[in-house]
Amino acid sequence: MIRLAAQLLRRRIGSALATLLALTVGVALLTAMGALLESGVRYQPGPGQYAAADVVVALRDIEFPPEEPGQSETTVALPEGGTVPTGLIDKFRQIPGVATVAADTQVAVVAAGPATGHGWSSAALTPYRIIKGDAPTGPDDVVVDARVAGDAEPGRRTSLLVAGTMREYRVTGVAEGIGPPSVFFTDARAAELSAKPGRAAAIGVIAAPGADVAALAAAVGKLADAEGATTYTGNDRGRAERDPASAEDMLMAVGGSFGGYVMMLVGFVVAGTIGLSVRHRRRDLALLRAIAATPGQVRRLIVAEAALLGLCGSAVGVPAGLLATVWARDQFVERGFIPAGFPMVIGGLSTLIAAAGIVLLAMLSGLVAARRITRIRPAEALGEAAVEPARSGKTRFVFGVLTLGGACTAAVFAGGTSGSTAVNSAVGMLYLFVTAVALLAPWINRMSAWLLSPALRLLWGSSGYLAGKNLKASARGMTTVLTSLVLSVGFGGSVWFLQDNVLRQTVSQNREGTLADQTLVSPTGLPAGAVAEARRIPGVRAATSVRRTSVIVPGDSPASAAALAIDPEGAADTLDLRVISGRLADLDADSVAVSRLQADSSGWKVGERAEFWLGDGTPVALRVVAVYERGLGFGDVTLPRKVVVGHTRWELDNQILIRTEPGAKVDKAMADLAARYPGSTAVATAGLSEQLASDLALSAWLNKLLIGVMVGYAALAAANTMVMAALARRRELSLLRLVGVTTRQAKRMIHAEQIGLLGVSLVIGGGIAAGTLVTVVDALTGSPVPYVPVLGWVSVLGGTTVLALGTTVLPVGRLLRIPPIHNIGVKE
Amino acid sequence: MRKAARIQEQESISSDGAIAVRVEQLTRVYGGEGQAVTALAGVDASFGRGTFTAVMGPSGSGKSTLLQTAAGLDRPTSGRVWIGATELSQLSETTLTKLRRTEIGFVFQAFNLIGALTVEENILLPLRLSNVRPDRRWLAEVIERVGLGQRLRHRPSALSGGQQQRVAIARALAMRPEVIFCDEPTGALDTQTAAEVLALLRAVVDEQGQTVIMVTHDPVAASYADRVMVLADGRIVRDMPQPGANRIAEELAFLGRPARAVR
Repeated sequence: MIRLAAQLLRRRIGSALATLLALTVGVALLTAMGALLESGVRYQPGPGQYAAADVVVALRDIEFPPEEPGQSETTVALPEGGTVPTGLIDKFRQIPGVATVAADTQVAVVAAGPATGHGWSSAALTPYRIIKGDAPTGPDDVVVDARVAGDAEPGRRTSLLVAGTMREYRVTGVAEGIGPPSVFFTDARAAELSAKPGRAAAIGVIAAPGADVAALAAAVGKLADAEGATTYTGNDRGRAERDPASAEDMLMAVGGSFGGYVMMLVGFVVAGTIGLSVRHRRRDLALLRAIAATPGQVRRLIVAEAALLGLCGSAVGVPAGLLATVWARDQFVERGFIPAGFPMVIGGLSTLIAAAGIVLLAMLSGLVAARRITRIRPAEALGEAAVEPARSGKTRFVFGVLTLGGACTAAVFAGGTSGSTAVNSAVGMLYLFVTAVALLAPWINRMSAWLLSPALRLLWGSSGYLAGKNLKASARGMTTVLTSLVLSVGFGGSVWFLQDNVLRQTVSQNREGTLADQTLVSPTGLPAGAVAEARRIPGVRAATSVRRTSVIVPGDSPASAAALAIDPEGAADTLDLRVISGRLADLDADSVAVSRLQADSSGWKVGERAEFWLGDGTPVALRVVAVYERGLGFGDVTLPRKVVVGHTRWELDNQILIRTEPGAKVDKAMADLAARYPGSTAVATAGLSEQLASDLALSAWLNKLLIGVMVGYAALAAANTMVMAALARRRELSLLRLVGVTTRQAKRMIHAEQIGLLGVSLVIGGGIAAGTLVTVVDALTGSPVPYVPVLGWVSVLGGTTVLALGTTVLPVGRLLRIPPIHNIGVKE
Repeated sequence: MRKAARIQEQESISSDGAIAVRVEQLTRVYGGEGQAVTALAGVDASFGRGTFTAVMGPSGSGKSTLLQTAAGLDRPTSGRVWIGATELSQLSETTLTKLRRTEIGFVFQAFNLIGALTVEENILLPLRLSNVRPDRRWLAEVIERVGLGQRLRHRPSALSGGQQQRVAIARALAMRPEVIFCDEPTGALDTQTAAEVLALLRAVVDEQGQTVIMVTHDPVAASYADRVMVLADGRIVRDMPQPGANRIAEELAFLGRPARAVR
């Protein structure tokens, strides 16, 4: 059967091209998504900093018990990294078999390059070995990592920016080690600088030679559990050093969740294309059935053909997908999503799964299509061969109606709720509506043909009459076109424009909400003293220090939210968060202000206590004093700085917002201030929104890339189907012309059909996109009118027109140039 | 090899009798309640081995339905069909297909051939699907008889309509079936080509002892048969030895008028 399949396939490769194209691009997409996912999953952050420790105790994520039994628990990475009590050190030392216990106390340091400061005792955990000089002994002594030493030599003095302040230190030694670059102080000095008394970023335990490490780890674990900390051993130790915004999480999110949608889309497109190609060959297959082939043989023939096409598609698609992955990796590295040396798994197990998956998918689609053909008797098949069967599955209809019901419920729910619940149900509604359209497509097509027929007849006369009839007759064949276009317009129109809306809103909220006219910004961080100095500058009316951090808020699933920690003094002059209830001035050491979106999502009201977790996992219950509108531009939670002290990774602020008196000349003083804090720059506030915009544009780039890939593939599927359908109409068009339809009328008929089909797709897709966009934008910004750029309208309408022209109008135009009598004898 | 042996066995059973095809009280009703259409209203007939029968009748008389149900392409609403000694009503779709493959040949009005396969591959298709090794001598004889020796490597699209029908006949003969059913085999051909195709069918009956049952509305085509059976409204209204084309035409004309007058 495979030989016969290969023979049939080779001779009609032209008509199989559409299927092959859908399979090839599909396997390329799956390969790329699989490679991203696999790279993320397989990534093993090997121990660096703590390589010499046998057991590491740290707090890096927070676990939430499942809301209902049976669900898995939610783990959220702590955005600021947690700390563990140094009191554990003595307890660990009591455990038999322990040789060394050291706490790692961390301090932000800039030497010849960015580094992390530690206490000298933690050098044993890596281990760092001194290559020149000695260990630090006094408060001003440092041992510098050879990688950031610059020209530092033992005995020389060097200037270091430590915790935001520039100071001279005496270099006592230069050391070599692995992991991120380090600078070592004495333990006492490091503890003093870190300003987190009694707590350390991690505690490492080294076992005595010959000790039972497993037993030791168990004993350590028991003590650590009592403090809520996690114990890491073996390869897991690397996770104790992990950055919360890690590259592997990003890769897993892209490859996993987005890959899931791509998989659904590929499945739907492949099934549709193979189904249509089998339907176009009904006559051949009916003949085979009549003369000799059993239903099983016909099924095997179609499945074998599909498998062969799947293999051919994989042969081209897999390398293409791998190339795409390499391109994506370069782009990710260039845009800073992943570090340059990140080990990507390109061509691993996932590639095999993608290729096998597409072959299986093709075979399954072939089987389903074949069953439709072989279920009917050969006599019927021969008779029906030229006309499409009217049957469409009852099950499909029932599921379609149920999905539509679900979508409507989600729409009502999304409209009735607010906050992130509304956003989530709007996105759920988008998926449900698109799925419902896919399931109900045959009925939608038939119904719209019925509804549009009078209008088409009125506008295009007899050509319109024929167009209406054709739309009705081809209702089933055109389901792929309808679904693909609705999906393209629905997804593209909502998710793509949503990025623009969020970007625009964020930037405009930030710009309008910033009353300060000068800003001191520092990528390396500003110490607490800077804001006081700024306030002393003559002509400065108010100065507010701003620390960007994150907190973990409860909700359907606990997640981290952007937060702003400010010094409330004079904040009314520098920031306008557009408070809608309460007063921001009431912000004291026991209170918090939240955005309307966050208040709605978490059900917080002014005067009540809001319970959430700080960035290092510390639970807090603060009184809500204000609810504000401009959450997108500044962050959903605004905290007084006092609350976060000791709970962020570094005790440093990101910027100081400065409001000057009208006409005051502060340029010189600002420049002096910036000079006193190395790494900082004084900028006019206007420049800051632009920085924000370019940061946002980066994440929008990723979202747009992903959605572009999906929409592109869906459009390809639509184009594919339309070309297949157009070329299959040779005989019909010739017949029409022989019975007296002029070329002009035939063309008008095609135009009317296209306008009918594409118009319906645009209206449904546009409706779904508009519904989603309005709901989400309303929830996010409070304004129900979404912003859609002119270019957006042009590309949606233009793209659809190009699709219609390229895939139907032009091919049919060519067919119409051939004298009709040449085609009438042609088999379809 | 085992399959081939079984086919031989079946052939030996069916060759015991002189009847190739028999139908008994055959009815076929299309459509559901309310709008049911009776295509066959109880037809009894036998077709002897080595005979050439023309089935005629006006449009809608049920002649194509008779052919399709007798050939196992469609299932009767009631009644029974025998091909040789085998009764079809109890057979599964797959067994029925296998029976069609070995015992029945088909020639349709048009689109008889798979466009992607060459002439030779089309002829060999039933053998290939049943995994039977072709009998080279017999095939050479069949190809010689239909006169397509030069065109074996061509695709159907390169052949004329008459040549395509000859390929279809060769394919039908390839398995040495019990009976060949033809549905308007000359309907799409000009007079000259039609005559060639009909002469070929006549010859396989006379020389190979093949049984042929042919649906046609053309009295000239029917004049090549031994026996003419005329259907009207799902019943046999005439069953006679072939009386010549003119006489057939008269019979048909006579049949047509009162039928229309009644309506």
